[in-house]
Formats: sequence, C-alpha cells, structure tokens
Amino acid sequence: MLEIDGISKRFGSTVALDGMTFSVRPGELYGFVGANGAGKTTTMRIALGVLEPDAGEVRLDGQPLDAVSRRRIGYMPEERGLYPRMAVGTQLRYLAELRGRSAAEARAAADRWTERLGLAERRGEEVQRLSLGNQQRVQLAAALVADPDVLVLDEPFSGLDPMAVDVMSEVLRERRDAGAPVVFSSHQLELVERLCDRVGIVRAGRTVAEGTVDELRETSATELVVVAPDAPAGWADALPGVAATRAAEGGTVLTLSDASESTLSGVLDAARRTGPVHEFRRRRPALAEIYRDTVAGAAATAPTAAPRTAA
Amino acid sequence: MTPILRPVGLIARREFAAKVRGRAFVVGTLVVLVLLGVYAAVVATLASGEDTARVGLTGPAVALTDPLQRAAPTEGLTLAVLPQPDTGAGEAAVRAGDLDALISGDPVRPRVFVESEPDAQLERVVVDATSALARDAYLRARGVDPAALDAAVGESGPAIVAAEPPDPQAGQRLGLGLAGAFLLFFSIQTYGAMVAQGVVEEKASRVVEIVLSSVRPWQLLLGKVLGLGAVGLLQLVVLGGAGLAVAGVAGVLAPGAGLVSTLVSVLVWYLLGFALYATVFAAAGSLVSRQEDTQSVLSPVTITVLLGFVVGFNLLTSDPRGTPMTVLSLVPPFSPLFMPARIALGVAPAGQVVLAFALTLAFTAVVLWLGGRIYTNSVLRTGARVGLREALGRARA
Repeated sequence: MLEIDGISKRFGSTVALDGMTFSVRPGELYGFVGANGAGKTTTMRIALGVLEPDAGEVRLDGQPLDAVSRRRIGYMPEERGLYPRMAVGTQLRYLAELRGRSAAEARAAADRWTERLGLAERRGEEVQRLSLGNQQRVQLAAALVADPDVLVLDEPFSGLDPMAVDVMSEVLRERRDAGAPVVFSSHQLELVERLCDRVGIVRAGRTVAEGTVDELRETSATELVVVAPDAPAGWADALPGVAATRAAEGGTVLTLSDASESTLSGVLDAARRTGPVHEFRRRRPALAEIYRDTVAGAAATAPTAAPRTAA
Repeated sequence: MTPILRPVGLIARREFAAKVRGRAFVVGTLVVLVLLGVYAAVVATLASGEDTARVGLTGPAVALTDPLQRAAPTEGLTLAVLPQPDTGAGEAAVRAGDLDALISGDPVRPRVFVESEPDAQLERVVVDATSALARDAYLRARGVDPAALDAAVGESGPAIVAAEPPDPQAGQRLGLGLAGAFLLFFSIQTYGAMVAQGVVEEKASRVVEIVLSSVRPWQLLLGKVLGLGAVGLLQLVVLGGAGLAVAGVAGVLAPGAGLVSTLVSVLVWYLLGFALYATVFAAAGSLVSRQEDTQSVLSPVTITVLLGFVVGFNLLTSDPRGTPMTVLSLVPPFSPLFMPARIALGVAPAGQVVLAFALTLAFTAVVLWLGGRIYTNSVLRTGARVGLREALGRARA
C-alpha cells in the first residue's frame, strides 16, 4: 500500500501542496486527476524522493519511504527524458542496474520489455534516432525494467497514439492484477473512468474527492432524464424538490435538490400529465462532469487563505 | 561493492564508456598525437640539418683560411672554406646560393661579397680572423711570437666556485614543468567543461529526474566526476606518454632529471585539481537548462583559470623562484597547475609543497560541499537560469 499522508510543499511564496493525502492499495489502479498546477506532479516527485516535502510523509507498506525502498517504485516523470545518445538496450540495462538490479537481471528485463513493447528490433539504436512514439515506449520500458512493486506514472498517456494507449492500458491492468499499487495522473477522464478502480480529484494542492467512480457519483446531485415529447418548455421548473432543469439528451434533465421518493413521484406525475413519457431514468454523470462539479464546488467553499498559484 | 557506492560506480562507468567510445575523444586524441609526431619530425629535421657556413676565398684573402678556421669554433659556427679560382666565379657561386660569402682582396681589409646581408655569426668570424691577422703582423714586427703570447694568455683565467652549481638539466626540467602545467590546464579545462556539458545534457533531456528517483544527487555528481576524470586521466597518460616518447627519440630528453617524480606529481595534482574544477563546473552547469546557456555560466570559471594560467606560465619561464610565482603556486585554485611545474624545476621547497597540497585539499573539500549543494538545489529546476543565492539555499537531505 502506498500512502501519501498530509504532504505540504511551498516553492518560495507559492503553496504547491497543502496537506495532500490519499492512498493506493495493492492491486488497485488509482487515477489522479486535477487541473494543471493542482499539485499532481509535485506529489509524484515527492513520492519518488526527487523533491523533499516541507511536511507530511510518504509510506510504502507502512514504512516511510527511503532511498532503498524508493527503488521498488517504477516512475515515469511528466518531463519525459532519456539519454539521447545511448542505445535503447544499454540505457534500459543501466536504469535497471541503478535501481539495484544485478547485471544479469537487468539484461533479462531489458530484453523482455523491449520484446513486449515491440522494440526488439531497436535495441541497438540510439534513442534520439527513434520516432516519438517509440521513444514513449522506451520511456514506459524504463519505468518497468527494474521490475517495480509499485508504479507511479505522471501523464503516461499523453502523446501516445491509440495503439500505444492500448498497450499502456494493458500493461497497467496487468501490473494491477499482479498485485501492484498503480497510480497515474491523466487529463483524459474517459480513460481514467474506464481504467481506474479508484479516483482522487485534487485542487490547489489537496485531495477534494476520492473514491470509486460510483462513490463519487453518489456525492454529486441526483439528476433525472425525462423524455416526454409533448411537454411544453419549462414544465418541470416549479416542481418541488427540483433545483434546475435544462434541455439535454433528447428531453429534459432535472437536477434534484431533494432525491426523495415524493420528489420522484411528483416529477413522474407531472411528466405524465403532459402526455406520453418515453424515458424516465436516473442520469449517470460521466467522470468529467463529476470532476467539473467537484472542482467548482471546492472552489466555492475554499477558504480565502493565501492566494494560491500552484506550481 | 557496497549498495551506496554501486550506483557511483555504475554512473562513472557509463560516463567513461560514453566518452571513450565517442568519436570526439578518439579523433581528438589522434589529432593531437599526429600533431605531436609532426612537431617532433620538424624539430628532428631542424636539429640534424645543422647549418654549415660556406665561404669562398680568392686572391690574397686566401691568407685568411687558417684564422677563419680558428675563429669559427669560438663563435660556434661550422665553417667550410672553399678556395675560388677568381672573383667572377666566386660571385656567381654566391648568387647561385652555393656560397654564403666570397672574401677577396687584402686579407686585413677584405671585400666580402654576400647575397643580401651577411649572417651575423659569419660576420663576427670574419672580423675575428682579420683582427687576428692584423694583431699577429703587428706583434711580429715588434719581435713578439704571437703563438707564445696566445699560449700565455690561454693559461690565465679564474677558477669559478659556485655555491649552487647550475643544473645541467635545467632546460629539460623547465620543459617538463611547462609541459606538465600545459597538459594539466588543457585537461582540466576540457574535461571540466565536459562535466558541465554532461550535467546540462541530463537537465536538458530531463533524464535527470529518472536518475534522481534512483540515486542521490551526490552519487550522480561523484560518479560523473570520477568517470570523466578517468577519461581525462587516460588522455593525459596517452598524450604525456607520447610526448615523452617523442622527446626521447628526438634526444631532447635524458632519463633521470626528476622524470619519475615529475610524472607522479603531475598525476597526483591532476586528480586533486580535477576534483576541484569538475565540481565547480558541475555546479555551474546545473544552474542552466539549455546547452546554449552553458557558456555563460562557465566563462567566469574558465576565464579565471585562463588568466591564472597565462600569468603563471610567464612567471614560470621568467622567474620561477620569484615571490609572485611562489604565491601563485600556493593559492589553491592555481596550485594544481603550477606546483607540479615548480616541483619539476626543483625550486619548490618541501614545506611549500605540503602547504599547497593541504590548502588545495581543504579548498577542494569546501568546493565539494558548496558545489554539491548548488548542484542538488538546481539540478531539477528547469527553465530560467537558477540564481546563485537561490541555489545555495537549504539543501535537501
């Protein structure tokens, strides 16, 4: 289990992290979402020991992370980087050895991952001669080559072609199924929704919502979709328990302020009175919508402390 | 290897392999070797083709033959005297370049025909010869035997007793010292700059973040300095060895003359000097994120070293025992460049060598600490150049 516990970090007068807390369980694929500057990259850098937190602690299996246990983490930084003039195979072996693998283990792992990621033909080539897509694959191989127990990937999907996205998703699931805690950040929310077991939404350096996508749906306001073709505009505006209405999804979407049985039956009755009702269902908002609502809600309730322009 | 040092070894090995296998190193070393060879060949040719002055004599001036041949060795000139049938033939030979001069007419006040102007050495030999003739004639006219006078004069002269006899191998020592200083300067500048470039390359390509998620910054810095230092040392040994071989073949260098002690001191001072400068270069390099900006942070360092080197090199040739040289060789950043040269020259008292070594060691320790701090604080900061004050702030554990 990877635990990020109350991490704070300032850069000069800028507060980047403000008590960031979340945890990733073994065999769990955790999606880390938030706007640019919300603190995702800083959190990951601190988890990897690349930055030092001002306060808080990162623990792996209950133990605070140190230089040795950090080597169990496979890391893909947001800023992609490899030695441009080093051959693919040599480079992967080197990075594996730096993480404490023996020369033989490193060679075997480099061969295995280049094979798996379709880079076997390119082992002897300098990284700078590869296409961008292949460089991304080498980058993934670099995160995996030391056979890590934990994966921390910063925007692993950005810049990937659809084929590579599939390979990446497959690899992440595989590691998850093998029992590794896997955390990655992404702006591609459909992908996060599809892949992740749990999601953490961050804003201004702290986690504002966390849970499975279904759990997150629970916390957002209930919405109903009613398709009643003969209903006049504004038919549901004044109904009790209805906070707002809008025309969408081929009918009317009602946001409820009170999702009780009486509200529901009141709405259904009102719809029937306008004529035939083709559809009457609870709406399942996409993660993207939950995200927008959560972040907007957090902004509205955020304490007016020091101005935050997160790094 | 202990777990804490294994990454250092891995990093050093990578740096070494990347540079030694690189085209720049191989080609660069070969070019310098070829230049050394060409230089040696030129020197050897010049040395073997020692000039012989060819002088033609005709008419009464033939009487100058003996005095000329006696005078030539005292001026250090090898002289061939060639009698000419007549002035016309002699002058033609001068014009054709077969003769350096044609001497004709009265032996005491001869006419010397040359192509454009007489060689200064040859002119002095001719003057010596004519004055000897005039003197001998004057003495004989007064009943004195010139040969007896010469013998009496020849026996006179003081016996010189020196408190510190000059070292017959002083020239060789100076040469060794200067070559050592130059090689150290060259090596430290080249490989120090390489350390900085390596640091900037890692920053520019962002690979440093992956590396630093596996190893501590000091391990990366140390590995880099060791790896590139080893490359520099290899080149130093190759070039120094080739230089010594060339000098030996050309006969410039006699064995002995503190050769071994000079080599040892150059190597020891190289290691110390490299650790010192490479750390400064690495710290400077870590302040910028793009190769284009490297020069701007390196130039304060390189210019300081260059100025010190130029001043010291001049002092070394003109006044190696003087106070300015002594002071320069005791100031830590310059000790590695000049102490070995002073040791080679045999003008450095043991006390000063020990003092310079201790000072440099202490200075290097401070530089390592400060440089490591700057490096740690700046190496992950990309974008704008990092200010020195900021870089010196609290280092992470």
